[in-house]
Amino acid sequence: MSTTRPAFLTIDRGTATAAAGLIGHVGGRWRLLGAAAAPAAIADEALAERLRRRLAAVDLGFAEDLGLGSVGAAGDLVRLACTTEAPPELAVVAATDRALQTLANVAAAAGWRVRAAVVDGGDILETVAMLAERRLDGILAGMSDPPSGDERNLLAELGGLVTAAAERRPDLLVILAGGLAGPGARTASLLRAERPGPTVVAPAADVRDGEPLRALLDELRGGSREGRRGLAVAAGTLATVLRRRIEILEIGQASATRIVAGWQPGMPPDVRSAVVADAALLPRGFGEEELDGVLGWLTTTSDRLRVRDRLRDMALAPWSDAAGDGALLRMAAGRAALARLRDETEAFDDLPPPDLVIAAGGCWQPAPAPAVALAIADVMRRPGVRALALDQARILAPLGTITDDQERAAILADLRDDLLVPLGSLVLPGGLRGGGVAGSLSIEAPGGPVAIDLLAGGLELVDLAPGETAVLGLQFREPADLGAHARHFAVEVVGGLAGLIVDLRGIPLRLPDRAEPRRELLAGWQGVLWDGANR
Amino acid sequence: MSAGWLAEIPARRLVEDGLEERVALAPGDRPLVAVGDKVEPGMALLARLRDPHVEEVDVRAQGAEHLGAGRTFSSATRHRGRGEVRLEGELLTPVPHRARRWRLVTGQHREPVGAVAAGTVSVVQPGSEIRIALDGRAVRGAFAAGMPARGTLGVVTDALGELRPGGIDMDQSGSILVVGSRIDAEVLTRARAMGIRGIVVASLASKELRDFQASERRQRAALHPAAPFAVLVLDGAVRRPLSSPLAALLAALDGADVSILMDPPALVFDVPGLAVPGVPEDWVRIRGGRLAGAEGRVLGLSGVRRFAGGVHLEAARVVVGEDEAVDVPLGDLERLG
Repeated sequence: MSTTRPAFLTIDRGTATAAAGLIGHVGGRWRLLGAAAAPAAIADEALAERLRRRLAAVDLGFAEDLGLGSVGAAGDLVRLACTTEAPPELAVVAATDRALQTLANVAAAAGWRVRAAVVDGGDILETVAMLAERRLDGILAGMSDPPSGDERNLLAELGGLVTAAAERRPDLLVILAGGLAGPGARTASLLRAERPGPTVVAPAADVRDGEPLRALLDELRGGSREGRRGLAVAAGTLATVLRRRIEILEIGQASATRIVAGWQPGMPPDVRSAVVADAALLPRGFGEEELDGVLGWLTTTSDRLRVRDRLRDMALAPWSDAAGDGALLRMAAGRAALARLRDETEAFDDLPPPDLVIAAGGCWQPAPAPAVALAIADVMRRPGVRALALDQARILAPLGTITDDQERAAILADLRDDLLVPLGSLVLPGGLRGGGVAGSLSIEAPGGPVAIDLLAGGLELVDLAPGETAVLGLQFREPADLGAHARHFAVEVVGGLAGLIVDLRGIPLRLPDRAEPRRELLAGWQGVLWDGANR
Repeated sequence: MSAGWLAEIPARRLVEDGLEERVALAPGDRPLVAVGDKVEPGMALLARLRDPHVEEVDVRAQGAEHLGAGRTFSSATRHRGRGEVRLEGELLTPVPHRARRWRLVTGQHREPVGAVAAGTVSVVQPGSEIRIALDGRAVRGAFAAGMPARGTLGVVTDALGELRPGGIDMDQSGSILVVGSRIDAEVLTRARAMGIRGIVVASLASKELRDFQASERRQRAALHPAAPFAVLVLDGAVRRPLSSPLAALLAALDGADVSILMDPPALVFDVPGLAVPGVPEDWVRIRGGRLAGAEGRVLGLSGVRRFAGGVHLEAARVVVGEDEAVDVPLGDLERLG
């Protein structure tokens, strides 16, 4: 990030909203001076001018020092920009159902919207029509490497389908994976060399749990400044800077991302990510199942048809209707999307638990920060103790586009206190049985010692302001699971806008089947953390 | 007034130029136009195959240069049973392990699909799509249902209005009706049965859309389907009136021939000399929230304000009618221009 002026802009342009951050060099380090978001239709210049205007209103002299004293001056700033686009569509075709499932799962975790077709027993006309569909961006055809016996019998058929599809749509990206890309298959040689679409040879979907293929498919999606890739890179750097294991849960209008980044001294960061189109706030093809998911989290009384209409309008104008009932509906839709993301990335739960969970994406922006903390606690029910934070300014993804590792690490280190809004800490014990008193909590907080009985089935909240830390003592009557099984725990927790949340509601979270008691229960929990939610 | 801050309020174009229509082709559909062709409303674009099925054919008689997916194929006349059979269609894929044999998509019944708007064909991809760069101007909608259609525009209600089943007149057959704020599926199916060619409406509830689409599928599956019928929804699913600049534009188009497209969803017109109503730069419409559908003048930006639900949002100060100015979230506002 080389700039002669002591300030630059970050721009994260999504499919629904755009966010800008103004970063200035102050007192020998980079600081976040302001952040703003707007509907995606608003130009970068308008967002930049809003930030400049506010800075000048607060401290004109300082703004002038940064060269931002006059109207339009922010338009000249260097911009570190990334964009996230609607997920491209990929037709996944394989010889057998088993091979297809593996391929489709990998592609779906790489940010593509997947349509699947199988050769064995499939309808040839439907398959050809799908491969020629005008919205399609690419075809992924693959086999195990080496192909299994049943796949080998269908190799010629699969190869013929792919070459025919490339003749109809020569502009398509064609990815040949595993055995289909091998010399025996000869499929690549059947594709015309002069066709405008690229042909890519890829590893099989069953190599190293599909990670090499997923990484390749991820690279093939979006441009060089793709925001979700930037977010994954920034996550790795941030884990190194903070020396903590972090998890990012990003819910956007068109896709969602789950990133886990680990840190070990002297080693490059270990980053694993999945971009899932079906876990978007309102995925294309939103149907009855997805609607049920939203209704299951909704805390207001509203009939199914009305909710469906409002969600449809939210898909058309995602920045609109963000207050009042609209905010509650958005948070219900956010929880449902987060649950889909969790289910689509189950394998991530086998990784070591994170120390810090960061909520990111346009979905969470309008909501009060404590409500976001509760949404994460409601859905991500993994036992343990973790800090929670919000990427409110959305500067992580643009910073992830800095190509120089050291420069990126230096800027993130400077910004470590600015870039995230601390939400607090979540203590989520597993293995609690029955109701009643499950144990007690003691905390040496700056305001004095606090002791609370822990009632199984409820939420306990302790005020702990942003920037404060405390040592939490937990004594359970029966051994509990906080990553380790024990009766007594002493853990350090950090404060935030939601404070300390001790979640004793059980794992998984069990809610009443009947709508009214479920709504009351959810509204009760939400009302504690969201001032104004129930009015 | 400074125009600079207005750039922070979302805007959409009232009228667009240079739209490209996309018409889907299924394997077996026969394009009847080529790239560069000029098309006029009513001109046949393609012959849609109504009963596609797959046959295997010997392609030895067809030269190698004419072989390939998407190519047309016509077999020699063969005797099959007591009749003569001649297979015509589009080549799909080669048959594995059978030299010179291909799968062919063919059928008995084809129906012509005509252009609804004038333009120039820019892309023809057999089995995929035809694209047409349109000559006319367009008003984009939120979504559309049915089939592309053309007719004479008729405004039958005001911006807040709703068309009832008894409100359709046989004299309106062949028209595209502007029906104000909402409509239900029963009226849509009745309008189609009475020869109406299309409906333009501000909002259509999801249930009504679903019911209409189910009816439309049944209609299209019939041996003699009705004439094309289109519904263009300008705003969304939740009821709201047509915005006044749009209502004024549609009133100016009353009596003109217009077309409704499915992809992109739009109303297309080509009326030389039409004066598009001007919209003051401080005019705004509230598209969501408590005041959805109201229109007013924006006075300026208010900064971050607290709204219902304890939510803090960027806002602007808006005067609606004769009322006092209120703060409205920027995301709930739209300008037209």
